[in-house]
Amino acid sequence: MARRVAIVGVGMQKYEFHKTQTVEEMIFEVALDALERSKLSRDDIEAVVFGSAVDAMCGIHNSDKVAIAASGGLLKPTMRNSTSGSTAISTPILGYDHVASGLHDIVMVICYEKMSENEAAQKVFSTVYDEVFVRPIGLNVPIQCSLEARAYLHRYGITERQMAKVSVKNRGNALGNPYAQLPMKLTIEDVLASPYLSWPVKLLDTSPVTDGARAVILASEDVAREITDDPVWIKGVGRGADSVWFMGRKNYDLGRLDYAYLAGKQAYDMAGIKNPMTEIDYAEVYDPFTYKEMQHCEAMGLCPEGGAGRMIDEGVSLKDGPLPVNASGGLMGEGNPIGAGMSRLCWCYLQIKGEAGDCQVPKEVNTAVTNGWGGMYQYNAVMVIGRD
Amino acid sequence: MAKKKQDLFTYDGQIQISYRWSVGQAGERFFAELRDHKRIMGARCRKCSRILVPPRTFCEECFVQEMEWVEVEPKGTLVTFGDSYFSTDGKRLKDPWMLGIVRLNGSDGGLIHYIGEARPEDLKIGMSMEVVFNEKREGNIFDIRYFRPAKK
Repeated sequence: MARRVAIVGVGMQKYEFHKTQTVEEMIFEVALDALERSKLSRDDIEAVVFGSAVDAMCGIHNSDKVAIAASGGLLKPTMRNSTSGSTAISTPILGYDHVASGLHDIVMVICYEKMSENEAAQKVFSTVYDEVFVRPIGLNVPIQCSLEARAYLHRYGITERQMAKVSVKNRGNALGNPYAQLPMKLTIEDVLASPYLSWPVKLLDTSPVTDGARAVILASEDVAREITDDPVWIKGVGRGADSVWFMGRKNYDLGRLDYAYLAGKQAYDMAGIKNPMTEIDYAEVYDPFTYKEMQHCEAMGLCPEGGAGRMIDEGVSLKDGPLPVNASGGLMGEGNPIGAGMSRLCWCYLQIKGEAGDCQVPKEVNTAVTNGWGGMYQYNAVMVIGRD
Repeated sequence: MAKKKQDLFTYDGQIQISYRWSVGQAGERFFAELRDHKRIMGARCRKCSRILVPPRTFCEECFVQEMEWVEVEPKGTLVTFGDSYFSTDGKRLKDPWMLGIVRLNGSDGGLIHYIGEARPEDLKIGMSMEVVFNEKREGNIFDIRYFRPAKK
């Protein structure tokens, strides 16, 4: 069995549509913040793992190369990871592998994305689609979501009103988040009245385009116990990837994310969690769109399959609810610089440590779960963290 | 894209690279049959008998490359669909255009394509759809014009 790995610090910065920093400058800010919070120095870092989802967003191929020094990785082993939107969590999983394997004791994990510099995010997203069967017919992100959301609503009877409640929750939660791009005081009617991108997804069901970075420092058990007497362990990791040929899969119903259920199960099995609904205290769930938070809650067993509508109706996932989800505001409220969705993991850590400021949930948080999702409805990565 | 401000230092540039992608060994057969015979071809795995559309040179379940080509009916079931009131260059349209995923009858796969001769309110998940071919075909995905609700 692999040796234990702890999160010993996180590096945060404000998420904005457009940051005047370069990728290198964004990364330095969060790397420094993480070092200061964990009271480590640049020399303590043994290796760096980078993650960004789509280089065409910032228009620099292998963009991590600009930030070798800024990350604390000068003349050290570095590696870049990219698994579309799930990069947000698969990157810290890669960092985890570096430490759990025994190869390194202290690893810096950096996730980042710059989305404001390209001509139009949609033009960049279109490069993700298969060039022969899909891109020519002009699939775009709104329709990509519509295909999936319609199947989801149809399969389980989820409503637009329930989706709207997720937006109200997350944008409202972001009001307490000092790094948030789009905190908003909304009503359900505000969301329902916002223009359709593609049914059932409306403008206010959608997360924004964002520039931003995050850092996480991971340490082996021995080192972690020197740094803190309250280590937060990575208890379980899981990943699933499905076929790019979404129109011809064995499970062709986009409403049920088989690959996400698998990733969740892997992570929970590893963490020894049998009943997430009672054993998970807190979750930061990947919410590029309202219905995605709902699908991911189900896939991670935070509510019964098909039960995410009821979950939000009954207030389960509210900040003061029994199983709060995205008290930071999530991607919707804080911002969605795709690869840097690792912020979801950072907020799980802060909630456990009691350092979430105005976002802190009233209940005690010992165990939390988070996920990242992306590709052509393909990737899901899950991480469970917590105290002993 | 961020606006250009007077006191903001930026550098404008473009990346314009043309590509000539290979459609692949499976794609060549698929598009040749589409162009020459108005036929949709799937690849049947000799081991598990699943018929893959789009066809591939290997079976993803069995992980073997013993495939044989079979014709697939150009009719199927609407799995899901999506509409947009925006053209591909961002202009607002009066009438929406739609894409749908259709599971093709007698196969274990399907295709995504335009939906024509219907409005969003006419469509229901699970309804029967049929392929309308283009009369002028060139060996690409536009050899299919669109799916439409199957005529009885």
